[in-house]
Amino acid sequence: MVIQCKDLLKIYFSGEELHALDGVSLSIQKGEFVSVMGPSGCGKSTLLNILGLLDQPTGGEYFLNGTPTARIKDSVRSRLRRQNIGFIFQSFNLMPRLSVLENIALPMRYSGIERKLILPRARELAQQVGLEKKIYNTPQQLSGGQCQRVACARALANRPSLILADEPTGNLDSKSSQDILNLLQQLNQKGLTIIMVTHDPKIAAGTQRTIHMKDGKIV
Amino acid sequence: MKLPDLMLTGWAEIRAHKMRSFLSFFAIAIGIATFFYTLSILSQRYEDIDQTVKISGQGRISTSTSHALTMTQYQDFLHLLPANTSLSLVTDWGNWGTSPWYKGQEITKMGLVGVLPSWRDVDFVYRLEGRFFNWQDIENKSRVAVIMVRPREKEADSSWSTYGPDPENPTIALEELTYRHNLLNQLIQIGQETFTVVGILHIPPVKDDPRFLSNRDYISLIQIPYTTWYDIQPSYRDYFETNIRIVTGQENTANTAATQTVSFLRSQFGPEEKPDIQFFRDTVKDYIQIAYAELKKMLFLGFIAMIAGGIGIMNVTMAVIYSRTKEIGIRRALGATQWDILFQFLIEAMLLGFCGSAAGMLLGYGALLRTAEDVSQMTFSWWVVVLSVLIGLFTSFLFALYPAWQAAKLKPIDALKYE
Repeated sequence: MVIQCKDLLKIYFSGEELHALDGVSLSIQKGEFVSVMGPSGCGKSTLLNILGLLDQPTGGEYFLNGTPTARIKDSVRSRLRRQNIGFIFQSFNLMPRLSVLENIALPMRYSGIERKLILPRARELAQQVGLEKKIYNTPQQLSGGQCQRVACARALANRPSLILADEPTGNLDSKSSQDILNLLQQLNQKGLTIIMVTHDPKIAAGTQRTIHMKDGKIV
Repeated sequence: MKLPDLMLTGWAEIRAHKMRSFLSFFAIAIGIATFFYTLSILSQRYEDIDQTVKISGQGRISTSTSHALTMTQYQDFLHLLPANTSLSLVTDWGNWGTSPWYKGQEITKMGLVGVLPSWRDVDFVYRLEGRFFNWQDIENKSRVAVIMVRPREKEADSSWSTYGPDPENPTIALEELTYRHNLLNQLIQIGQETFTVVGILHIPPVKDDPRFLSNRDYISLIQIPYTTWYDIQPSYRDYFETNIRIVTGQENTANTAATQTVSFLRSQFGPEEKPDIQFFRDTVKDYIQIAYAELKKMLFLGFIAMIAGGIGIMNVTMAVIYSRTKEIGIRRALGATQWDILFQFLIEAMLLGFCGSAAGMLLGYGALLRTAEDVSQMTFSWWVVVLSVLIGLFTSFLFALYPAWQAAKLKPIDALKYE
């Protein structure tokens, strides 16, 4: 089991208590491709951030590959994130001043991989997402679909076991959206576990399982 | 993230924020220029002092008496002093206005002093042609002379050649004379006496003369043996002062030598003898104090400039962090630790500090070149370069630490959501 959550609680205190997650329990097996759907503000992204160790739950338990994560140090969270998780964001979150190649290489710069191995691996990933001819371009010189493919390649850089995608097709046209979905499906077929937040039922239909959320709860 | 990657990232960010980077760079450069300039002068002064003390000798004291010492008194005095002490007696210039003659040509008036062979034990910075006096010259009261001549600065200096008692009959300056004729082993006439020139001492140009704390020779002189001086002018014996220079060779014996000097002079010339003993170490100490006070002011200015530079770096780092909060979030999401973020901003600031230091040192070097009396005499110490770079790096580090820490402790999710 890659992910196991029990009674996850996330409360924001801004004048009044806001329960972004209200007792979410969830298990995701290795190699699953799961989509999370629900209306805006239902807690999808909060759940994804907690699963990605970017945020901490107010209560509950979360095990990532069997490791409890609720009360671990920031440095351990960073290491777990680096070794196990690849992120794909709706707005790509690429470094605007870095080239495609350097963007893909960036996670490897933090993982302690030998320097001389980093760029060949980044090239290989660029080829895998079909951007081998754009490696020296900056994100501003790419289309939205191409940017998201760079983000996919970057997410794969450290060979993670889990990909977390937060509305990866939200900013893309339908063709590009389909391309990204196809790419994610291919990765899933190679054994990667993928959790994807989406608003689009057509995209969700391309996953193996869909989790529906409402008011911070799985329904 | 490894250091080369941190440096590359830092350099890219410096280039991306050109104006902000330049302002910090400029302030650091001004501060370091002041430090570099001041420290270089300080280093040069200490080196000069070192050299002058080396030449002037350790444990050096000087005094004077209004009596002439006989050679027997000299020997008794020397035996009283610590072993291996150099004791030198030099007569006064005597009646200023000695006009020697060479082959019917009057030489411009100059000083005539009587010295002992021990005169050359210390402060001997001259180039000697021929020989210096020996103890036989002293014993025999020989009519031999050593000419101490200044470097000839320009050809036929009119002020030298016409300066004399009679404008109708111009005298010739000794410098000019030695330039035109080889005076070695020639005869010169001083008063009623004829002297053989046995040696010529060439005084180094002031810029090459390390004796800036002891006495430099600014004019040409004729030296004759100490005993000869009193022999040809016996009335001077109780009229002019004798300068006494004692160099023990060790600083810790200077006090003993001073006590012995006072008691010897009193034993010889009566209790009313009150010699004023001057310690060379006090001259050095006074010089260091004056130099240090002057340099302290400059170091203070440098310090203020560095604070300004540091605040500039802090300001730039703060501003950069606000504009790059999202980037910090992305890096954290990709696996960067708090230390990675901290180091990234510190390295960036320190790179700026390093570049500022390098430019500051160039500026400081330029200022040194402009203000130096003689560029060829300037020496550069590696410690000044290293210290200047370290000051630049440390200032950048110190002032970037707080903003870098603020960046490092941002929560990844808060940083990612920042727009």
